[in-house]
Amino acid sequence: MDAATRERLLGRLRAVVGDRYAFADPYEVRLYQYDASPETALPDVVVIPGTAAEVAQVVKICADAEVPITARSAASSLAGGTVPVQRGVVITFARMDRILEIDADNLRAVVEPGVVNLSLSQALRPHGYYYVPDPSSQGACTIGGNVGTNAGGPHTLLYGVTVNHVTGLELALASGELVQVGGRKAGSASGYDLTGLFVGSEGTMGIATKIWVKIQPLPPVQKTLMAVYPDVETASNAVSAIVRSGILPAAIEMMDKLSIQAIEAASHAGYPLDAGAVLLLEVDGIPELVEELGERMAKVCRESGASEVRVAKDEAERQALWKGRKGAFSAMGRLSPDFYVMDGVVPRTKLPETLAKIDAISARTGYKICNVFHAGDGNLHPLVLFDAFKPGQYEAVLRIGDEILKLCADAGGSVTGEHGIGLEKRENIRYIFSDDDLEVMDRIRHVFDPHGLMNPGKVFPGEVVEGSAPSRAPDHAPRRAANVAGGDEIWV
Amino acid sequence: MGLNARVAALPGHEITVEEQQPFRVDDLLPSRVVRPADAQDAARGLRLCDLAPTAVVIWGGGTQMRLGAAPRRYEVALSTERMSRLLEYEPADLTCRVEAGMRLRDLQEALLAQGQRLPLEPPHPDRATVGGMLAANANGLGRARYGTVRDWVIGIAVAYPSGKLARAGGKVVKNVAGYDLMKLHIGALGTLGVIAEVNFKVQTRPQVEATLIAHLDTPAAAVDTGTALARQYLAPAAAVVLDQSALKDCGMTADWRWTLALKFEGYAREVEAARDKATSLIRAAGGRVEGDDVPSRFWHAARDWSAPDGDLVVVRAIVPLTAIHAIFGVLPEDSQVMAQPAAGLVDVRVPAAFAASILRRLRTAGGDQGQVIVAAAPAAVKKELDVWGPPPPGFPIMRALKQALDPNGILNPGRFVGGI
Ligand SMILES: Cc1cc2nc3c(=O)[nH]c(=O)nc-3n(C[C@H](O)[C@H](O)[C@H](O)COP(=O)(O)OP(=O)(O)OC[C@H]3O[C@@H](n4cnc5c(N)ncnc54)[C@H](O)[C@@H]3O)c2cc1C
Repeated sequence: MDAATRERLLGRLRAVVGDRYAFADPYEVRLYQYDASPETALPDVVVIPGTAAEVAQVVKICADAEVPITARSAASSLAGGTVPVQRGVVITFARMDRILEIDADNLRAVVEPGVVNLSLSQALRPHGYYYVPDPSSQGACTIGGNVGTNAGGPHTLLYGVTVNHVTGLELALASGELVQVGGRKAGSASGYDLTGLFVGSEGTMGIATKIWVKIQPLPPVQKTLMAVYPDVETASNAVSAIVRSGILPAAIEMMDKLSIQAIEAASHAGYPLDAGAVLLLEVDGIPELVEELGERMAKVCRESGASEVRVAKDEAERQALWKGRKGAFSAMGRLSPDFYVMDGVVPRTKLPETLAKIDAISARTGYKICNVFHAGDGNLHPLVLFDAFKPGQYEAVLRIGDEILKLCADAGGSVTGEHGIGLEKRENIRYIFSDDDLEVMDRIRHVFDPHGLMNPGKVFPGEVVEGSAPSRAPDHAPRRAANVAGGDEIWV
Repeated sequence: MGLNARVAALPGHEITVEEQQPFRVDDLLPSRVVRPADAQDAARGLRLCDLAPTAVVIWGGGTQMRLGAAPRRYEVALSTERMSRLLEYEPADLTCRVEAGMRLRDLQEALLAQGQRLPLEPPHPDRATVGGMLAANANGLGRARYGTVRDWVIGIAVAYPSGKLARAGGKVVKNVAGYDLMKLHIGALGTLGVIAEVNFKVQTRPQVEATLIAHLDTPAAAVDTGTALARQYLAPAAAVVLDQSALKDCGMTADWRWTLALKFEGYAREVEAARDKATSLIRAAGGRVEGDDVPSRFWHAARDWSAPDGDLVVVRAIVPLTAIHAIFGVLPEDSQVMAQPAAGLVDVRVPAAFAASILRRLRTAGGDQGQVIVAAAPAAVKKELDVWGPPPPGFPIMRALKQALDPNGILNPGRFVGGI
């Protein structure tokens, strides 16, 4: 975009949001080239609208000028979802962070997109309710971003991911119109389920300006167990055994030997250093039941090869057990200056062979790979450790990532369980979808975005990328483990 | 191309008058029927229909064919009856893949053999197919607790008029790759493509089941108890408010007017606690627990009540929980009602002569956050009714989606919202 065009655009946008909230200064817009993925690209202009009506007007101005628009919430995307690869305007929701309504009678809350996930549950707690999807990044990520990626979390195993908890949306469409789809009521029989279709569309269908979510009564108690296994294979088989036992745990998380070492070095959570793998399991419900389920689960764990099962006796012990898991991501800094996180999914029963294959890739390439993941739903997060300052390592790690996703796909799984396709995996999507599959999805995108302006360059493979290429600036090292987010709160 | 040549190119075969009857939709009869062998075959058949172009009505088990407006045109009946296989089932993964023509009951039996189930119970599972359940978004009485069809479908293969078979989602329980086209096709009443295969996640069957029948003096008290239960931990698996006649339809007679029937499912301890809690809430609302014994067909009859065979008119209101009172407030005295308070859903069987006026009243009472549709009605009555109500705000997008996937408008033309 040339300087004159940019100035004209900026003037029009400022007329809508005010001078303070639209800017194009090269220094100021630099912050908006990043998210939590390694990719970067500079936007031309950044806008921070204060209301849904302003969002719609901003979109209209951009559409008229044929300028690409990228929605950006907390930018914790691990897939480059918010990186404006075709430049243009970045819209961010820092000012649209109000909880508009807590409607306990109808089991709903109505929020603006910039509301931080955790702060919604905190606001609901005094009413006896919570919002279920709890991405590990919930202290930073927003409901708008969660709608963008259809985010999951440890406790979505039992209760479902974002789309299962969103009943309505107000959308700013590419045409500049503001429409409400779905709403407060439960079911919908009023045409196509645009709410469900939109969730997880990563900003390519429009912008959510208001969100109706389900809220749920808090479980009376939770019980957490740690089960220690000799190796990941035995632990993976245990996951299937637990699932088949008829117990429905609220969360099943796994950490492998390397992760345990990193965690122990960082936070001394008390995981046995000689363990090959650790499972963290949680059940919730009424006290009498949780007691019984805890015992049953411990029994299944022992029968499936656990050398030790430790049950948290009280809330303090429970928190202690989770502390190691929550600190796992940042703990990687103890092992390596950089890491690359993947998000593959395999059917639960394919966990053992998939983990063995990942191990083989590690042995062959010489790169260490940690596994800390949502085992209950087969959602792997292999973390490939490397040093970005060593020439060729970053590129090698990307190739390893491709290989891991390919083997997840070949095992009947998916190339992303919760982080989204974004920029990062747009070629990998071909591992699971044919040209015909993608062609139908593309037709649908065109309905919402006929001129290709909504977060262009994302989700779909083979897009021609104009403007700045999605590559790292030469002077920029990929994110360091320690500075992705704040210490102990990190929980992938 | 002349008319004869066009007809010759259509899939399936011409049918006799007797063969036509089972494929009647409202007042219309098809001239041909096609029964694809599998998903690819369905796509090929659709392609031929599209080339003609000729109007296709998709048939599963036929249990929801009274839903929707009368088709504008109807020449070919596409029946999924030969597509009835269980393609994959891995109990340890709690997932399966089935062809769309599989009957719900057959699927549930296969799952039951492994101690599992799909917690969706649309009416008439002995006839309803998986594809029909998706297309009509047909749900049962457990929707408030277990969610609806959209919460259990993890993948889909759809045949389009272009002749292509395209998939979305996959076989794993957690997956955000690509657009969620499952949501698009669920409830689309077959207007965007022929659902050919469906992947589900399933669950372990609950340990125990229990029922509680309570009688309350007013519908308001019954509804309030039902919604209060939904707002607390240990919500029942089903909560249904029935009037005297609906209760009778379910095989029970009573000398009281309003019944709250509760079904509990889960671990034994949980069910026990839930029942105690429900009992105290019922008493607090001035109600009386009448027992925990129901005729064996009770829950099945309750499930099927909203999709009756024959010429009954059923009107359905879907509203926020707090708006249920307003719906009850405008119902005529002696209405035949079955409501699911925890889901904000009220089904009413209405006499044909009053259907239009009741529909109008309910729409006003439901307000702009609610929706009232005709869930079933004979053709003659439907002609006088606005089956879906006014098109929703996102309607231009919906029409454009239809245009993008079915440009010649061959699929179920006219049956859906806003004349889609
Ligand atoms: C340490 C760490 C842990 C993580 N753990 C998890 C986890 O457990 N589970 C999980 O699912 N994810 C996890 N993530 C990834 C990330 O937090 C999620 O993808 C989250 O949903 C992004 O929210 P956000 O507010 O940061 O959105 P952003 O990153 O700003 O945006 C995400 C996507 O949504 C689009 N978008 C943003 N706002 C809107 C809007 N209003 N309307 C339409 N589209 C919009 C964007 O264009 C982009 O494509 C983790 C990330 C980190 C850094």
